[in-house]
Amino acid sequence: MLHVCREGPGPSGGELHFCLRNEPKTFNPILVDDEASEHIRYLTGGVLIRANRQTQALEPSLAESWKVSSDGQKITFQLRKGLQFSDGTPFSSEDVAYTMRLLMDPQAHSATGDAFRSAEGRVNVQTPSSDVATVTFPAPVAGLERLFDQVAILSAKSPKKEMSVLGPYYVAEYKAGSHILLRRNPNYWKRDAQGNRLPYIESVRLEVQRNRDIELMRFQRGELQLINRLEAEQFDRLQKENAAAARNAGVGLDAEEMWFNQVPTAPLADYKKRWFQTTDFRRALSMAINRADLARIVFFGYATPAYGPVSPSNRFWFNPALPAPKYDPHGALVLLARAGFRLDHGTLKDSAGNRVEFTIVTGAGNTAREKMAAMIQQDLSQIGVNLKLVTLDFSSLIERITRTFDYDACLLGLVNTDLDPNGQMTVWLSSGADHQWNPSQKSPATRWEAEIDKLMREQATLPNEKERKAKFDRIQEIVAEQQPFIYLVNKNALSAVSVDVAGAAPVALNPQAFWNIDTLRLGASGQLGANK
Amino acid sequence: MSGRRLLRIFCYSILSVAFGAALFAGTITKYSYAAQFRDVPNSPPSAMHLLGTDGLGRDLFTRVIYGTRVSLLLAPAAAFLATAIAGILGGLAGLRGWLTEKVILAFADLSLALPLLFVLVALRALLPLDVSPIFSVIATFFILGLLGWPASLRVVWAAVRRLRQSDHFLFATALGYGKTRLLLCQVIPNLRPILLAQFWISIPLFVLTEATLSMLGLGVMEPLPSWGNLLRGCENFSAMAANPWRVVPLFVLIVTVICLQYILPTSGETA
Amino acid sequence: MTAWILKLAQRLLLLAALAGVGGLICATMVRFAPGFGVDERELDPRLSQASLEAIRKEHQLGTGLLSYYGSYLFGLCRGDFGTSTFLERPVGELLKERAPFTIRAVLLGLLTAWLAASVLALLTVRFPSWLLDSSATAFTGLLIALPAAVVALLCVFLRLPVFAGVALVTLPKLFRYQQNILAHASAQPFVLAAQARGVSRNRILFRHVIPVCWHPLAALLGVSASMAFGAAIPLEALSDSPGIGQLAWQAALNRDLPLLTSITLLVAGFTVGINSFPKAAHQEQS
Repeated sequence: MLHVCREGPGPSGGELHFCLRNEPKTFNPILVDDEASEHIRYLTGGVLIRANRQTQALEPSLAESWKVSSDGQKITFQLRKGLQFSDGTPFSSEDVAYTMRLLMDPQAHSATGDAFRSAEGRVNVQTPSSDVATVTFPAPVAGLERLFDQVAILSAKSPKKEMSVLGPYYVAEYKAGSHILLRRNPNYWKRDAQGNRLPYIESVRLEVQRNRDIELMRFQRGELQLINRLEAEQFDRLQKENAAAARNAGVGLDAEEMWFNQVPTAPLADYKKRWFQTTDFRRALSMAINRADLARIVFFGYATPAYGPVSPSNRFWFNPALPAPKYDPHGALVLLARAGFRLDHGTLKDSAGNRVEFTIVTGAGNTAREKMAAMIQQDLSQIGVNLKLVTLDFSSLIERITRTFDYDACLLGLVNTDLDPNGQMTVWLSSGADHQWNPSQKSPATRWEAEIDKLMREQATLPNEKERKAKFDRIQEIVAEQQPFIYLVNKNALSAVSVDVAGAAPVALNPQAFWNIDTLRLGASGQLGANK
Repeated sequence: MSGRRLLRIFCYSILSVAFGAALFAGTITKYSYAAQFRDVPNSPPSAMHLLGTDGLGRDLFTRVIYGTRVSLLLAPAAAFLATAIAGILGGLAGLRGWLTEKVILAFADLSLALPLLFVLVALRALLPLDVSPIFSVIATFFILGLLGWPASLRVVWAAVRRLRQSDHFLFATALGYGKTRLLLCQVIPNLRPILLAQFWISIPLFVLTEATLSMLGLGVMEPLPSWGNLLRGCENFSAMAANPWRVVPLFVLIVTVICLQYILPTSGETA
Repeated sequence: MTAWILKLAQRLLLLAALAGVGGLICATMVRFAPGFGVDERELDPRLSQASLEAIRKEHQLGTGLLSYYGSYLFGLCRGDFGTSTFLERPVGELLKERAPFTIRAVLLGLLTAWLAASVLALLTVRFPSWLLDSSATAFTGLLIALPAAVVALLCVFLRLPVFAGVALVTLPKLFRYQQNILAHASAQPFVLAAQARGVSRNRILFRHVIPVCWHPLAALLGVSASMAFGAAIPLEALSDSPGIGQLAWQAALNRDLPLLTSITLLVAGFTVGINSFPKAAHQEQS
């Protein structure tokens, strides 16, 4: 290990230790679809365009510049010259063509590739010279440039295949179930203002650690120097014990939400289906939930009440004009009365005399969600609703919400990795598989869903971002009126960074704490135990 | 009175208090186990809340009392079921010998090899969603009882085999006792202490299995408390150091299990 | 000699058959458990319909359960344990990587537990007093009362290896059994006769009591081995140690049929084998 320490810029050497939540499933950047693999891709992959996680602006990376055609179907990259992969293989436009070919292969079923798939048809890549690549899509792709942030370029020629990389680190060692060791890429193209080659830190050791309490314990002992995402309770504790290490980047992109099962063929009683399909019922229950208490108690104040699908931290796409109805159980009862419900000795009943009781399912092991559900249970009991909470292991939960539809309501979290809502096409289109409350519809069941379908399709074809935003603003308004999803809170982006890690500036976008890995430095005591 | 006897009486008293508290929970505490005092989450012990409050502002003392009811009343029921099954199968294996013995023992060994937690997770996921928390906890302990017999089986089987080879059994057989009379007059009375010991040993095991399930988030449904879901607060040691009253459920569990160990007949008493 | 070989072959065949039955039961449970065949990738909004269909098809068995299991066993004869649907790697490779860790933890944990339990049991029998007996009961009761999750976290907090957790979980049960065996032997008439003759307590213990306990202790070895293995699995899963336990828990949560079947097969073979070994040795002697 190199331990070169300087006061000013320049390599600090040392080894950065932090954890992955799960075993990475693949090192092939084309096939990445889990968080651990995505982190490895971020640390090792070189991309043509990088979305700066701090400014949210797009920056040139392997491509010096790019141009998107007016119809949004073609993008031309001017590549940097003289770059090499980690094993010395030269980088050229051929590698871009090779990568796009693999990415867009329908047999690959790549989530990254599917994000580009706006229509059927082949994707063409032309390489008029070794430093120019033009990618042409069969139809316009909304937010085209931003999608290239996820495309790590593979070498067409290297015998090491996906292990030969253009990013700041390469995978040097992998012990299944234990750790992955990344070493500095000697051929990494980026340099700092003084001309020093980046990254500063010599190596990164990623340990597989599922248990978050153990992860925090190890951080406090100095065995880890960084925790990318901290739960609110742990953050609160860290804040009291080691405030300098606790980093709050403000409101994050992630949200907690619940929805009612509106699938017409679901194995539920008809009267329950009628409740869940009634807008006033959903709006009333939304109004009866005390979001401020959820944020204050479950998330220790490190969350803000949410009313729409876009977090305020997504500066461009957030609609600030959305109504934010306050907690109002009395108002909820008025809405329910309008829908034919009445309170009978403290129990809410519908017009046919059925007691309003239903279950909400959520994944087991997530204590924050269980607490939220318990608080929602209490809130809804104030308006006479009997809510039962059931925790299921994740596989059983997914089966119920995607296959059997044998559930009443579900409480889950929304993890947003992409700022552009176009990436959620399958959520908003009524025919989409992720249109959770009533997926894969042959035709829209309601007028407002038909309107959302129309708006989503329109915004996907518009090249102008302001026009797209106007369409999506209207979608947000419809969602606020109809409440198919009842958004609860937007969680803050919380991380832990040891004081020995210089240059860290955690942000709301993932990866929160190590988005600028190439300019992080370890301090004078850049060894384990430095936290003590 | 011997020291051991005094200790046993003391343990019986503690267990009686615990059982009594579980049965008369509503009289001991004025709060509901689900009531959330949202102004005082994670508060330390006070006059209003003897053991403080949990993360949702629920009175911890109330939840410990009601949690005792769930764990301490249902675990013995599960232990009884498991011991009864072990008694029947172990008795059959030991008495009949030959193929019956081989099949039953092999089945027990196989059951031990199966991933029990997975079986519990899968069976729990099969339960209808709209059952009450009480029903779901009864079902959980019932399943634990149905699956918990293999561990006791070999002990019962070994005891029955020893019995078969004992002088009084051989004498009874030589006297021409029928199978039923042998079972009722020789086997069951001699097996009673073994079965009783297995019953008492199984109780803490089922309490702990439910606790492990709850710590994985798959135990008793909210808001019903059990020792298991109360123990989830012990997952973080620095949090416990900051809120030491959270260790009370673990302390109650340990004291109860130790008392159950003490009331078991000693090796000298059964030898 | 031939008879001995025949008997051994019979036992091994029986062992293999039982392990196979165990694997089939496990495979059946996994196949029909809720959540089989689903993948959390189905919630990824980026995936196209074609990709979703491909993912769903990947997780289907493709054939009936019996024919799947038949081809699995056939592959097993060639050393092919199948491919993990969750980790997308050959199961054989995964087991080869993780097994040494678990075996080490189980062996060391067992050794530690046996040493500690034997010393404690011998002390309580050699120096019979209610105080010593009660203290031993309190200590082992404390250990029994700790849930596996708490023991796992305690090991992490105190920076103890997993085998220490295995020892802590196995020790109290081992002590109880050993104490019973030794006390039962101590109550035999020949021991009473030796005491009446004025033989010293140490001599009685080491010359008369312990020798008659070998067979039941050998039987206990089998039981304790499967107890230790059973303890190692949740401990590894809860402390995130890279052993078979963690693998088994992940396989269970993700309904990974090939992985869970393979692990159950191995555990069943181990459990049945270890439990039949003392019985076989006893039969050989008598």
